[in-house]
Amino acid sequence: MKKNPYKVLGIKEGASYDEIKRAYRELAKKYHPDRYQNNPLADLAEEKMREINEAYDTVMKNAGGNYQYRPDYEQSYDNSNASKGTYGQQYQQQQQSSSQSKSGYNYQHQYANESDLENRARMYINSGNLNEAQKILDRMKNRNAAWHYLQGLVFLRRGWYDRGYTNIQKAANMDPANFEYRNALNNLNQQYTGYRQNNYYRNSYNSSPDMCNLCINLWCADSLCECLGGDLIGCC
Amino acid sequence: MFGYVEPDKPELKIREFDVFRGYYCSLCKTLGRNYGQVSRLTLNYDLAFLYVLLDSMSSLPINGKRQRCIAHPFKKRFVVFPNVFAEYSSDMNIILMYYNLEDKWSDEKNILGGTGALALKRAFKKTKKRHTEKCTAIENHLKALSDLEKQECDSIDEVAEEFGAIMREVFECKHIEDENDRKTLGWMGYNLGRWIYILDAYDDIEKDMKHNSYNPLVKQYDFKGDDISSFKETIREKVDFSLTYSLSEVEKAYSLLGVEKNKGILDNILYSGLIVKTDKVLHERGIKNEKESL
Repeated sequence: MKKNPYKVLGIKEGASYDEIKRAYRELAKKYHPDRYQNNPLADLAEEKMREINEAYDTVMKNAGGNYQYRPDYEQSYDNSNASKGTYGQQYQQQQQSSSQSKSGYNYQHQYANESDLENRARMYINSGNLNEAQKILDRMKNRNAAWHYLQGLVFLRRGWYDRGYTNIQKAANMDPANFEYRNALNNLNQQYTGYRQNNYYRNSYNSSPDMCNLCINLWCADSLCECLGGDLIGCC
Repeated sequence: MFGYVEPDKPELKIREFDVFRGYYCSLCKTLGRNYGQVSRLTLNYDLAFLYVLLDSMSSLPINGKRQRCIAHPFKKRFVVFPNVFAEYSSDMNIILMYYNLEDKWSDEKNILGGTGALALKRAFKKTKKRHTEKCTAIENHLKALSDLEKQECDSIDEVAEEFGAIMREVFECKHIEDENDRKTLGWMGYNLGRWIYILDAYDDIEKDMKHNSYNPLVKQYDFKGDDISSFKETIREKVDFSLTYSLSEVEKAYSLLGVEKNKGILDNILYSGLIVKTDKVLHERGIKNEKESL
């Protein structure tokens, strides 16, 4: 059974364009695939995102008029899908190459190659088979930036964030020019601040201005006025 | 160990607070009815949170009525009518508290732990019959956990994993029919367990140093025996990351559940209560061991 698109977006029927867009933007932010990187629930988030996109399309069509594209998030969502696409391609290429090597060379030979091991580990991580990935990582002798990165990904997926962070950080330090490692590290920091600065918390008493702040602000304003020759508070 | 999961009370609406307390009372009464009056003393907020969360996943309206109870004999309070989730959460409460008390007894020869475990023994046997598989799984993880503690494991991730796994078992409630929802709940439980374990470890550093007992953070960051508070300060940032990241994963799982019922209460706990608690422990804002009160 298909869900009511208005319910999916959490809006009333007959909502205005702006309301629909705002609701969509909020939800897209919440279920954005970037937020669910290295998360065992990534597939569920993706499904949810698809549902929201469909609902948005339907609702906008119902609202009539000349809508063509979804705002901002759609694009970045497609981009991240595209990056997944390249992953997929890599994966296929790997499979092809490994099947070639299986027919061409002997089996042992294939394992001797470190970068081949690295690719296989990556493949297992992408498919969520962490145990196999870990086995391969343990066999790799060359503990370079790529190794630390992959090991970090395995840890993160496991829920071992302390070690995950340490490894990703190490990878980024060892190879500062690598965009992928830096990106992963930024993403981790982003998750941290993103959660700490969520709307609920930000609007609560915990972060609202207190009386001291008020006094300081007034004092600053007064000083500024005085600098310019005026005066805000007459007595000081 | 337990009781860290609490709402950020000043930020709750009065109505929400009433409902939350209604769930808590309902759970307490369920415990009393099923397992005797003593068991009611072991109830903690973590399981009340679980009850609210699980119940919020069904779309049935919240029903309840004003009732009196032993603890508050003069004023009637709103109590939610118990359902399967109340039963389930109270069972889990018994299981967790029994193991916790027993552990206290065998590790530290804590008298309170010993008597508590003894008092809960009958209740525990009854629950074990109902949740044999869960108990076996939890026992295995507890065994692994105590082994790691005995070996003085120096990785906080590794030790917290076992406690996380226990909470995963607890959160994967069999009464939730949708398999994806169960999986999401499990991930939520795992990360919440991780958070509880690490937070507790940080909170206990002084106590463990004093009694010369094992603390994973002290091991991992190789405390040299100088000033404890400066040690705590040097590791604060790392611990904070671990804790907050775990919470961010709890929040992601919660988002996927798409809960509408009791949203105010749950949002309050997930987006504020847990952060407030984290900061309180990390910056020691005068809550010293309020959890000691069993």
